[in-house]
Amino acid sequence: MTAPPLQFELPEHMAAKKIISRLGNKIDFQIVSEQYAIKTFYDSLDWRLYSADILCELNQSKTASYISLIDRNSGECLALENLKEVPRFSSQFKNGSLKTLLDSLLGIRALLPLCQLPHQVYQINILNQDQKTIVRIRLEEYEGLDGRISLQPLKGYEKEFDRVSMLFEKSFELTPTTCSILNNALKLQGRRAKDYNSKLAIKLDPELRADKASKVIYRALLKAIKTNEAGTIADIDTEFLHDFRVAVRRTRAGLSQIKHVFPDSVVAQHAGFFSWLGQITGATRDLDVYLLNYKQYITALPDSLHDDIAPLYAFLKQKKKQEQTELANHLKSQKYIKRLLEWEQYLKEALPEKGCSNAANLTIKELADQRLWKVYKRLIKEAEEITEDSKAESLHALRKTCKKLRYLMEFFQSLYPDDEIKTLIKALKGFQDVLGNIQDVDVQATSLKKFSEEMMVNKVQSNTFLAMGVLVQNLETMRCAARKDFAKQFSLFNQEENRTIFKSLFAPQVDIKKP
Amino acid sequence: MKIIALYNIKGGVGKTATAVNLAYLAAQSGYRTLVWDLDPQGASSYYFRVKPKVKGGSKELIAGERELDNLIKATDFENLDLLPADFSFRNLDLVLDARKKPTQRLKKLLQPLSDSYDFIFLDCPPNISLLSEAIFESSDVLLSPIIPTTLSLRTLEQLKKFIKESKLKDLQLIPFFSMADRRKNMHKEIMETLSEKHPDMLQTAIPYASDIERMGLERMPLGGYTNKSRSTEAYQALWQEILDIIKLL
Ligand SMILES: Nc1ncnc2c1ncn2[C@@H]1O[C@H](COP(=O)(O)OP(=O)(O)OP(=O)(O)O)[C@@H](O)[C@H]1O
Ligand SMILES: [Mg+2]
Repeated sequence: MTAPPLQFELPEHMAAKKIISRLGNKIDFQIVSEQYAIKTFYDSLDWRLYSADILCELNQSKTASYISLIDRNSGECLALENLKEVPRFSSQFKNGSLKTLLDSLLGIRALLPLCQLPHQVYQINILNQDQKTIVRIRLEEYEGLDGRISLQPLKGYEKEFDRVSMLFEKSFELTPTTCSILNNALKLQGRRAKDYNSKLAIKLDPELRADKASKVIYRALLKAIKTNEAGTIADIDTEFLHDFRVAVRRTRAGLSQIKHVFPDSVVAQHAGFFSWLGQITGATRDLDVYLLNYKQYITALPDSLHDDIAPLYAFLKQKKKQEQTELANHLKSQKYIKRLLEWEQYLKEALPEKGCSNAANLTIKELADQRLWKVYKRLIKEAEEITEDSKAESLHALRKTCKKLRYLMEFFQSLYPDDEIKTLIKALKGFQDVLGNIQDVDVQATSLKKFSEEMMVNKVQSNTFLAMGVLVQNLETMRCAARKDFAKQFSLFNQEENRTIFKSLFAPQVDIKKP
Repeated sequence: MKIIALYNIKGGVGKTATAVNLAYLAAQSGYRTLVWDLDPQGASSYYFRVKPKVKGGSKELIAGERELDNLIKATDFENLDLLPADFSFRNLDLVLDARKKPTQRLKKLLQPLSDSYDFIFLDCPPNISLLSEAIFESSDVLLSPIIPTTLSLRTLEQLKKFIKESKLKDLQLIPFFSMADRRKNMHKEIMETLSEKHPDMLQTAIPYASDIERMGLERMPLGGYTNKSRSTEAYQALWQEILDIIKLL
């Protein structure tokens, strides 16, 4: 019903009072209110709202407190709700258009405050001869940031609106802006929007020496570890730990797969630390996964067992809490701080004039080609050896090889034509999914059995174990289905088209025939 | 969307005052609300300080040449819009009469607004005419202010008869007492007998009060200049009673 407002940024020297007094000579108006207020912007760590061109702001004053979602380009208000405190998750909002929109954008990610902007806000009505309001004005004067004026058009008074906005443009020499005050505030904090994304985006110069380029990669991963550290300790949402662990795993994969670029002693010193990080975060992540899957568990059970499975949830919650506390202690420990600092220090250090090995002295493109081609060939070999009777271990090994290839492709993505490398990553991802399913289901079934043993001690009703047994059975069924799907998914991955691209991107250019 | 028409054959019974004040209350509680001033005298337009002028006049309006949405004006109150009157509305009957299905016309014109508003209040001119029939066809509720006089009894009965004969099954008539003066014995007596005879009469009566009368000077709904009084409470109670009935429709 309401058209979006027109916004102007006020020049530095122009105080609200001055605007108002100068307005007095030109136009009839009425100051409706003058108030101290606080505007707080919210988004998820990975900017899910901003990336969808939406701003989420909480406006608090003595008389009102409301949250609104605003289209970043047009300034249009998409949803608004009176609210004193912003809950962390979209699921905790009241049903309504605001919740629906947040649900679809945020998923499982938490809303976090980005910045808090105290300001003085003036509400002004521009009036016609009948003392009827024809334009509403909101004048915001910030501390440390340039002020803002926004003109809110009123339905049926478009011509009057044009006259008033002209007045501002001409008399006050203002030009409309679509840039939000959020961007100015971030700049002041030395930040910029979308400065974190869980996807790796490393730009490498193909000619860069391999050991130097490796440091570029590890620095990007270290940044991801540090970005997610506080949120992991505070358990803001499950994605912090997830992204933390991914960065740790990628670092480990790098250390083992980008071979020989650093001295062995260096690798040995740090690889142990990252594998320790993987261990101490594993249990919490597993529990997160079960808790996230819990809804699916329920739907997979017949209605009659729904109440019986409830103790499992309580158990998982409790266990998660314990593991989380332990994990947080690890990440606050001297050991963690010291070892991470050592790694950071090593990455900062300049490398010697000459690399420590042949591999280190290659260009990163040469090394990437070699490594990718080798791991790819190993993957194909391992996958071709899988038969219907293969043991779980073989599948597990194959899954690890896939992961290695995946991480390498992601590290070196910028060295290859974008379309083609993306096609390959996507194909590999599809194949990994089926392997991941088999493995996840296995792990979950084993854990459920283990949990039920632990729960025995807590005098849980036998019906609960019955329900858990049904869950394990369901998982077995899923495992069989995933196992059956394997051959199909592999042939999809191994199709001619993909093979050609793999070969053209990574295989050695000249085949030197052996005598 | 529910359409509530303020209607009475007689003039000066408080139709406009009720339309304006109830629309204000609806908007205040968050309902997207529109008042359509159908009276060429433009009283509700005046109360909202909107010029009683509609581009193209009644002819183009009824012909559907202009979208209603483009003629709507925001009032000074949140969630509350107005479709202003125009002097040419005095010949709405003639313009309607020239069309094929004149009594279906308003309903058709209002249709596109159904997503934009929760409540539309029609402020109707007095008397019975082709326009009133078109209003009856398009409305969900016919809210009729009754001044407690002997004559009012007759008009109410006439109205009920008319609705019955016109087979307006979907139209809910809601009569209520307006401008009731507690100091007048006659008002009290008539209110008692009328309520007995017509149990559908709302419990709440709008009193005859000077703060309501002052709307003409203030040029805004009662709630815009009075915080809390017997009159504001009466309108509030009246609106609540009406909402309860509408919820059952
Ligand atoms: N409850 C009331 N107490 C005192 N005065 C009132 C009350 N209701 C309405 N009035 C005044 O009575 C006059 C007629 O009221 P109103 O315009 O609402 O009636 P109406 O039925 O719309 O009239 P019309 O038929 O002319 O459109 C107006 O001057 C109005 O201010
Ligand atoms: Mg009237």
